[in-house]
Amino acid sequence: MWLRILLLFVAGGFTVSCSDSQPSPYRYMVVFSQCNNSEPYRAAQNAEMKRLWATQPDVRLVVMDAQQDSVRQIAQIETAIRLKPQLLIVAPNERVPLTEVMGRAKAAGIAVICLERDIVNPDYYTTWIKVDNYAIGQILGQYVVDYLTKKNGEPRGQIVELAGLKGVEAEIKRKNGADDLWKKYPKIEIVTEAVANWSQSLAKDRMTEILSAVPKIDVVYGRNDPMAVGAYLAARERGREKEMIFVSIDGLAGDSGGVHQVEEGILSATCIYPLCVDKAVEVGARILHEPGFVSEKSYTMPSTLITAQNASTYYK
Amino acid sequence: MTSNLWKYLKHHGQPFIGLVLILILGTLLSPHATDGTIVFLSSGNLSDVLLQQTEIGIIALAMTFVIIGAGIDLSVGSVLALSTCIGALMLTTWNQPIIVAIGAALLAGALVGALNGFIITRIRLQPFVMTLAAMIGVRGFTKWMTGNVNVDLAFGDSPSGRFAELFSSKPFAIALWVLLAVVAHLILTRTVYGRYLRAIGENEKAAAYTGLPVRKVRLAAYIGCGLMAALAGLIHAARSHQGNPNDGVGYELDAIAAVVIGGTALAGGRGSIIGTVIGTLVLGLLTNVLRLHMVDSNLELMIKAVIIIAAVWLQRRGSGLHGEL
Amino acid sequence: MLECRNIKKHYGGVVALNGVSWKLLPGEVHALCGENGAGKSTLARILCGITVPDSGDISLEGRPVTWLGPQEARGAGIGIILQELDLFANLSVAENLAIGNARLEASGWISPAALHDAARPLLHDVGLDVDPALPLDHLSVSQWQLVAIARVLGLDAKIIFMDEPTSALTDDAVERLFGLIRRLKERGVAIVYVSHKMNEIFRICDRVSVMRDGEMIATETCANTSIDQVIRQMVGREVTMTRGQRTSELKLPLLKIESLSTRKLRDVSFTLNKGEILGVAGLVASGRSELGRALFGTSPVTAGSMQLENRPYRPATPHDAVASGVALVPEDRQKEGLVSGMSIRQNTTLASLSRYSHGSWVSTDEEQIASKNILSRCRTKLADEELPVSSLSGGNQQKVLIGKWLLTNPKVCFFDDPTRGIDIGAKDDIYRLVAELAGEGLGVIWVSSELQELLANAHRILVFHDGRCMEILDAATTTQEEIMRLATGHRTPLS
Repeated sequence: MWLRILLLFVAGGFTVSCSDSQPSPYRYMVVFSQCNNSEPYRAAQNAEMKRLWATQPDVRLVVMDAQQDSVRQIAQIETAIRLKPQLLIVAPNERVPLTEVMGRAKAAGIAVICLERDIVNPDYYTTWIKVDNYAIGQILGQYVVDYLTKKNGEPRGQIVELAGLKGVEAEIKRKNGADDLWKKYPKIEIVTEAVANWSQSLAKDRMTEILSAVPKIDVVYGRNDPMAVGAYLAARERGREKEMIFVSIDGLAGDSGGVHQVEEGILSATCIYPLCVDKAVEVGARILHEPGFVSEKSYTMPSTLITAQNASTYYK
Repeated sequence: MTSNLWKYLKHHGQPFIGLVLILILGTLLSPHATDGTIVFLSSGNLSDVLLQQTEIGIIALAMTFVIIGAGIDLSVGSVLALSTCIGALMLTTWNQPIIVAIGAALLAGALVGALNGFIITRIRLQPFVMTLAAMIGVRGFTKWMTGNVNVDLAFGDSPSGRFAELFSSKPFAIALWVLLAVVAHLILTRTVYGRYLRAIGENEKAAAYTGLPVRKVRLAAYIGCGLMAALAGLIHAARSHQGNPNDGVGYELDAIAAVVIGGTALAGGRGSIIGTVIGTLVLGLLTNVLRLHMVDSNLELMIKAVIIIAAVWLQRRGSGLHGEL
Repeated sequence: MLECRNIKKHYGGVVALNGVSWKLLPGEVHALCGENGAGKSTLARILCGITVPDSGDISLEGRPVTWLGPQEARGAGIGIILQELDLFANLSVAENLAIGNARLEASGWISPAALHDAARPLLHDVGLDVDPALPLDHLSVSQWQLVAIARVLGLDAKIIFMDEPTSALTDDAVERLFGLIRRLKERGVAIVYVSHKMNEIFRICDRVSVMRDGEMIATETCANTSIDQVIRQMVGREVTMTRGQRTSELKLPLLKIESLSTRKLRDVSFTLNKGEILGVAGLVASGRSELGRALFGTSPVTAGSMQLENRPYRPATPHDAVASGVALVPEDRQKEGLVSGMSIRQNTTLASLSRYSHGSWVSTDEEQIASKNILSRCRTKLADEELPVSSLSGGNQQKVLIGKWLLTNPKVCFFDDPTRGIDIGAKDDIYRLVAELAGEGLGVIWVSSELQELLANAHRILVFHDGRCMEILDAATTTQEEIMRLATGHRTPLS
């Protein structure tokens, strides 16, 4: 019995390994360790990553999904190190847990790129492609100031904020960027801030409560697209969606993404939170191909404000 | 000597065959690193697997005892999270020395185990129900204690940094696991306690009628399980460099899977530590083989499921427990 | 009517049946006897479709049949009452009677009223007077046995196999069962009666087949053979039916029980002397097993006192009892006695393991010596102590259990029906062993369903009825009739 199974396994193993052992056409291996595939932003990153590396025929890209589990991501990177790739791109699930293992990768002679998020020790990565959430908050804040000035003749109005998970870097900076700008205008009032943990359905519930309490609202600032859309749905149920505008950050592509919502007129504006992938691939490719290339320690990605005027050009 | 070894393999060899299969399969299927070596067999890769399985491996040792005693402990994942957080808080926020942090985390685990064991043996709640409740309750307590915020350990020459360095170091963690496995094996096969535990798991009524200290024996198994889950938690905290109240979800099932693959009967009475260690290795090596092959991690779960069923089925065939009505 | 030819069956390397051919005639009561392990239960199970034979032919009323499962044999009119009761403790009496009964379950729906109506005549037939709605775990072992018999009656079977049907029955229930067997016979039902009990066989059976070591030794009409001859054929040698010698007891009180009451016992008083064998008679659920539970700390004492060697004795758990030198060989070997996954050695030493351990480490060598010695003293027949205990026959399993307790050096040993369902040779060994132990000063309390056994071996006999001790009789002068009268409640209890 066991013998038969053993033989089966061995035969199966040989078949697979033979088909595997043909000379590889790839010169380089690039491992991308993604912290979590299930968010739309992360899925968009993966798609872009695959699309861009596919244009380089001598590069083999491997994508690993850590499923929002730092320990799993550590283990995956440990295994990746054994494969001795030339380049490792990591979107760390959390800063502290991933620090040590990424240091080990770099010590093993692998070029390491931090994608969007960083780790504790800058010596442990080659370069960090980052986004300035604070700057994005300011871009969006300025859009709101311009809108209120136009609507009320002066920068005056009542704002409702929908916050993501408290204590998270993106939440803090997106909030401060806009709030710091608005503080300069005494007649702009932040009426209330509700925490909806990045979730559309939670945002809808919170907004329904706010609508009963706040008689007049000019602007709803959702710290991501889904929360702004949730607020819009709540307002529409009360027939008050025309009273206010909805603005947010993310600007994802695709049918359910923020850019499309702007085109549909649901959102008034969204600020694109860059995927960072194009820069990572660009820098990565140079590291692979140009022996003398020394990258910057970090690259900050610019953002773009999407409004009704330019939405169609960005919506693909 | 050789005949003894052959006899042993004949009776307890099934899990070994699984291990050998996985090793053969891993070697044959292993990709070659960009420099041409067989990645799977490299000592670095194999010791990575050992390190990665240390947490589950240590929990599974204690789980083997609980299951042989005809029980189950679903709370180990939550206890692991509790231990990571207590350890991390002690080392950082509360500024305690390493030894106190370790002691506090282990004590917390042992207390949860004692509570499980006490209620199961005295109030006679079913182990599944009690430890399910503990799994939920301990998770809640851990989140409340930390405010559901991760407690990061520091780097460098602070107590928490030194703790993390020690407990996440490969030789230390692997040696700890091996040592515990040897001790567990000896307790199960060579001590009065081990004999009593197997008797109680197989036929609790007969054990009671024999005058065995049924409650104490079962209580000890649960305390041991809590203790080992807490110890695994310390390794987890060191490895992930933080205490995370949301970690360890599903670890109880991985540990139970390792025990079951190792040939321990869920009905109690029969099982071995050697089997459990092999079960743990089989799961780890399997994950490794698939990961080296960049198989989608969701597919990994399906293959694990097949392995569990196949392992248990083959063991049943091997032991001839089939075909009779 | 039912016939088999050249049936063979192996379990692993063990030959259970080695080419057995056998024939059942219409309307006869046919005894299958043999020592345990002779293959009679296996043969019965094969003929009822429970076990699949390795080879051989079975034919029913001249047509060859191949049973794929017990359901098929049942459909063809063959019912079996199994030795280990295949009933469901969580279901009611009526549900147990109906389960697997194609006629009652035909629609897929169950009506309690219809079940109870169907159950009543069956219960009446076996003489069991209980509410059909009662869950089975409220019933005694004896009543379980009657339910099992009633269940087979409900199948309207043409052939009924009864595997040791009286092993759990009290004498009055046995009488009713015999009445039932006669009535079934008048209806043309053929009955296969698997038993060790010679008097029963010769009272009700027409023919008797003897098996030994997986082979059919002889089939004769009862008129043409004798008990002695059948026993000779069973064991393959001459056995003298001498019972254990009663040694003279010492008049030194060992255990003193005064006005003891528990949930099921009322006001029981007696004294057990050193070296005395105190028999306990009574119907099942009369309180005779409860006495053991009270002594052993598994049933809480509500009133009264116990003194062991003039010191107050009140065990809270079996652990206390064992520490005080009290041992209990339980009634149900499988459920309460043996750890079936463990080896013979491990079962033998389980109660006294700390004696062969240093600290908490077991010394296997000392353990082996101890178990070897005690097992040979108990005349246990075994090939290898390292085999699982479940590989032994019932009689040898019982000896392992007795040996296990002797290793604890007890002062008082409570045997709860120790010879139930075991073969004559093993019974004889146990009688001798108990007498020997009493001779060494052990106090023995011996519960038995077989009155002859008590009369032959005990010094005095306590008779229980309904939780009370009715009378303490001198075994040398009393009779079976007197015991039965007391056991069925025909005299007021002793003051």
